[in-house]
Amino acid sequence: MSVTPESPSQQPNALSRRTVLQRAAVAGLVATPAVGFLAACADSGSDDETSTPNSGATSAANPLGAPEDQPINVVIFNGGYGDKYATDVHEPMYKKAHPKSEVKHQSSQAISTLVQPLIAGGNAPEFVNNSGEKSLDFGALVADGQLQDLTALFDAPSVDDPSKKVRDTLVPGTVDTGSFNGKPYVLYYVSTVFGIWYSGKLFTDNGWAPAKTWSEFTALCDKIKAKGIAPYAYAGANAAYYQWNIILTSAAKIGGADILKNIDNLEDGAWKVDAVKQAAEAWAEIGAKYNLQGAEGLKHTDVQLKQNQYQLAMYPSGDWIENEQKKDTPEGFKYQMLTTPSITGSDKLKSTALRATAGEGYMVLAKSKNPKGGMEYMRQMLSKAGGKGFTEVVKAPTVVLGSTDGLTFTPGTQSSQDALKAAGSEVFNLFFDGWYKDLDKEARTATNELMFGRIKADAFVERIQKKADEIKKDSSITKFKR
Amino acid sequence: MTAIIGRDAPGQRSGGQGARVVPKSERPRRKLNLAGGIGHVFLAIWALMIIIPLLWVFLASFKNTTEIFSSPWTVPDHLRWENWGRAWTKAHVGTYVLNSVLVVTLATFGTMLLSSMAAYVLARYKFVGNRIIYFLFVAGIAFPPFLAVVPLFFQVKQLGLLNTYTGLIIVYIAYSLPFTIFFLTSFFRSLPNSVAEAATIDGASHTRLFFSVMLPMAKPGLISLTIFNLIGQWGQFLLPLVLMAGARDKWVLTQGIQEISTSAGYEADWAGLFAALTISILPMIVMYMIFQRQIQAGLTAGAVK
Amino acid sequence: MRHGRVPFILGFLVAPVTLYSYFVLWPYVQTINLSFYQWRGFTKKRWVGLENYDRMLHADRFWQALEHHAVILVLLPLATIAFALFFAFLLNVGGKGRGGKTAGVWGSSFYRVVFFLPQVLAVPVIGVLFATVYRPNESGLINGVLLKAGLDKPIGFLIEKNLALPALIAVLVWQAVGFYVVLFSAGMANIPAEIYEAAELDGASKVSLFFRVTLPLLWDTIQTAWVYLGILAFDAFAIVSVLAQDNGGPDGATTVLGLEIYNNMQQNRYGDAATYGVALCLLSLVFAAFTLRLTRRESYEY
Repeated sequence: MSVTPESPSQQPNALSRRTVLQRAAVAGLVATPAVGFLAACADSGSDDETSTPNSGATSAANPLGAPEDQPINVVIFNGGYGDKYATDVHEPMYKKAHPKSEVKHQSSQAISTLVQPLIAGGNAPEFVNNSGEKSLDFGALVADGQLQDLTALFDAPSVDDPSKKVRDTLVPGTVDTGSFNGKPYVLYYVSTVFGIWYSGKLFTDNGWAPAKTWSEFTALCDKIKAKGIAPYAYAGANAAYYQWNIILTSAAKIGGADILKNIDNLEDGAWKVDAVKQAAEAWAEIGAKYNLQGAEGLKHTDVQLKQNQYQLAMYPSGDWIENEQKKDTPEGFKYQMLTTPSITGSDKLKSTALRATAGEGYMVLAKSKNPKGGMEYMRQMLSKAGGKGFTEVVKAPTVVLGSTDGLTFTPGTQSSQDALKAAGSEVFNLFFDGWYKDLDKEARTATNELMFGRIKADAFVERIQKKADEIKKDSSITKFKR
Repeated sequence: MTAIIGRDAPGQRSGGQGARVVPKSERPRRKLNLAGGIGHVFLAIWALMIIIPLLWVFLASFKNTTEIFSSPWTVPDHLRWENWGRAWTKAHVGTYVLNSVLVVTLATFGTMLLSSMAAYVLARYKFVGNRIIYFLFVAGIAFPPFLAVVPLFFQVKQLGLLNTYTGLIIVYIAYSLPFTIFFLTSFFRSLPNSVAEAATIDGASHTRLFFSVMLPMAKPGLISLTIFNLIGQWGQFLLPLVLMAGARDKWVLTQGIQEISTSAGYEADWAGLFAALTISILPMIVMYMIFQRQIQAGLTAGAVK
Repeated sequence: MRHGRVPFILGFLVAPVTLYSYFVLWPYVQTINLSFYQWRGFTKKRWVGLENYDRMLHADRFWQALEHHAVILVLLPLATIAFALFFAFLLNVGGKGRGGKTAGVWGSSFYRVVFFLPQVLAVPVIGVLFATVYRPNESGLINGVLLKAGLDKPIGFLIEKNLALPALIAVLVWQAVGFYVVLFSAGMANIPAEIYEAAELDGASKVSLFFRVTLPLLWDTIQTAWVYLGILAFDAFAIVSVLAQDNGGPDGATTVLGLEIYNNMQQNRYGDAATYGVALCLLSLVFAAFTLRLTRRESYEY
């Protein structure tokens, strides 16, 4: 292309590319002041589209007054539980109760990718199962007024017994779990128990017993290691929170469940208490000595598969794991759950104590066309038949009381349900990860640093505390309390 | 003597011509052969670095999960075509490939047409505002596209073009303009004036001058930029993710692969994922092999500067 | 020729300029504006002035990202151009001169096809592919071999903080080299064969041929390549997002500005996302201005 002579004197209009770019930059800046006005126009445009929620007549069959002729859009997270429970159980139930209201079903593994543009575009779906790696930030949605206040739902008469409010037919704590500063915005539907999972077959075959104390646990790890099997691992690439969950569970046992409450409430120094440090120290040692090769670079599916192939003995998870792995679980594997062993001899809680929660979040979007329809869908889900159908399909119990009567559980669920019973009143939960995604992120990163030997327990609590303090100071982040 | 033997090595145009070569001094010749030998080793290593992973994906598409997660150097114990079947039917890879072909073909065509028009006018006509328009186009090269994604979403929505082929194609065109116009402008500037003048004297209109004289002259440049745009738009990942999210039947290949690889994480269908990858890679390889001469000729034309 | 000039100019410009302004310029302008607001992406914007900028300048991840851009900006063009020049030279000039012509090595057309292949792979494909190549256990493509060969611990390509970024850059280089081989080959084809022959007759080795003939004559093309690769260095977002662990991890060791924009968007912090975007724009402009200063001047001929 060097065809033309290029001396600037010959070419009065010659421009260097440098000036091109400089002037372009200036042009960009000059244009800015006019923007505010136009942006305001764009804004008002999108505000216009938020329609006033429709209402229908209330009746015994329709206590929330959902409009009978309006459709509802249902979005299900197609992850560990799949979406069959919705298409085969809940949606038919809703349609049967409201034959004129159409149900439009969508499912996705990346909820935010699908739903965020819909919300931004003024086409918010009524009902969303917000879960998975790419879920939307509940805290941000609440702070932005995007979520429907579910008080009316929980106060509505239940499907099975109109004399009872919906809130009284659920496992205690369900409404609180989904509440933000006292108002319920999220329905957590699945009763979830967290612990350490192992193969009953592998343990029986080798004569290993689940550990209750820390010395038993390390002895067990040694025995497993001697067998040439990796004793303990979590997936560092994308599931580090499975491990901070274990560390905090241990911390709660050492120092009492209030430790977690303080962490959730962003109390000063909440992470730096001795109990958290001790727990971190103990687990860091497990990470250093008993890890699966390369676990830090593996995704949860890789690591779970290793366990199914008997190359890994113990894996921290919630009780969804049995359903999630059903395709790859070999015959006779027999998932079993063990609670985190007591680290000190003077732990405040027993070794049977555990973290359990209502898990798997569902929400109704306030700016959708038919939020009352969305709540009505939830009411149907919360019937005994809804709960039972869910459990039959995905093998996990729901928060609906009595909905598992007459059902036999799979070995894994049975073992976690037994553990839940054994825990008695020593059941706790934590919330900060749902409230402050940034803090969750920092905890995950710090957990990898700790468990793979790059930092010590002191630095671990130090850096998460620093993040918690930053969030506390940051006025742009909405705070939550419990 | 080694030099003479070396010269008859396969790959030379024809062995028989070796005798006609004028012999040169021995010293540099031996060095040349040595360089060729070592060079071959490097070339072969690089080629293997490309072929092995691709071959591995191909083999993995016939394996089952256990085989995939054992040693990478094992061969599947039989050909599991059902993996391909799943990828094709369940994951709709075929549809995604067709969608990609449709969108990219039309968008590249539109990009080339509009860019060459704008570039031609900007390169060869003086008028008020010429330089400002040119600067604004060129500045676009430096902007990261996904910075604009949120407002862009609303712009597209305003026209009711979300989740439509038309919308995606237009946006592809708009985002390909800066780069294409930048290079085509300098290309049009480099074309000689004499032909244009001759045509003008013959009474050709501006439009005819452009379409029947200047465009054909710019062919080498147009070809290389067409190739750039085809490659760039084929691999476009962000724009469809945002603008086509709601219409699964219109998804392009990059979206499809992304979805499949996320879902492989949940359903552990790794074999299906690799079958899908193979299905998506094969047409590109075949296309490239068919058109590689034109592609290289286009680049060799020297327009790319 | 004066006749119909204005309608012609307008007619040719109206469509491209309209499209560009509506879909590209205007969204960018709005983004700049957005960087002065707090916005969750749904409803009301709140004017916060320079608060977002202040937060960005105090964020570790921002400075980490800048550092990574600097590293990529040096390593990516250097490695890509070095490899591509070397291969292009071998393919075009590396063979034995014959009949008064310089020739490429045997099989050069095969290599050209193979080297270009990575260019046609879409980013998600690359992501899946290299997750396997780098997997840190016996089923990884590289570690599988190394462990068999007697290495006792797998190499954590994407896990080790010092390795993660180079490992990602290697992927970018792997993908880019083929394109630049073709580009440089094109440049080399334009170098008159007589120059090589004269040099060869003088007894110049291939090495000195390369440094004394090829390199100087290709300088223009190499500069162009540098600009492309520089732009690519600022846009490393896609590869980081599909391949790095834990969103630019381990512990932020591979984060780039693009990823920080993405992370902020994920958390519905659109004002912050826009602020990082403005930073990225400025950097790209500075880089482009700086590099293009070296290249020759544009000229009008008409």
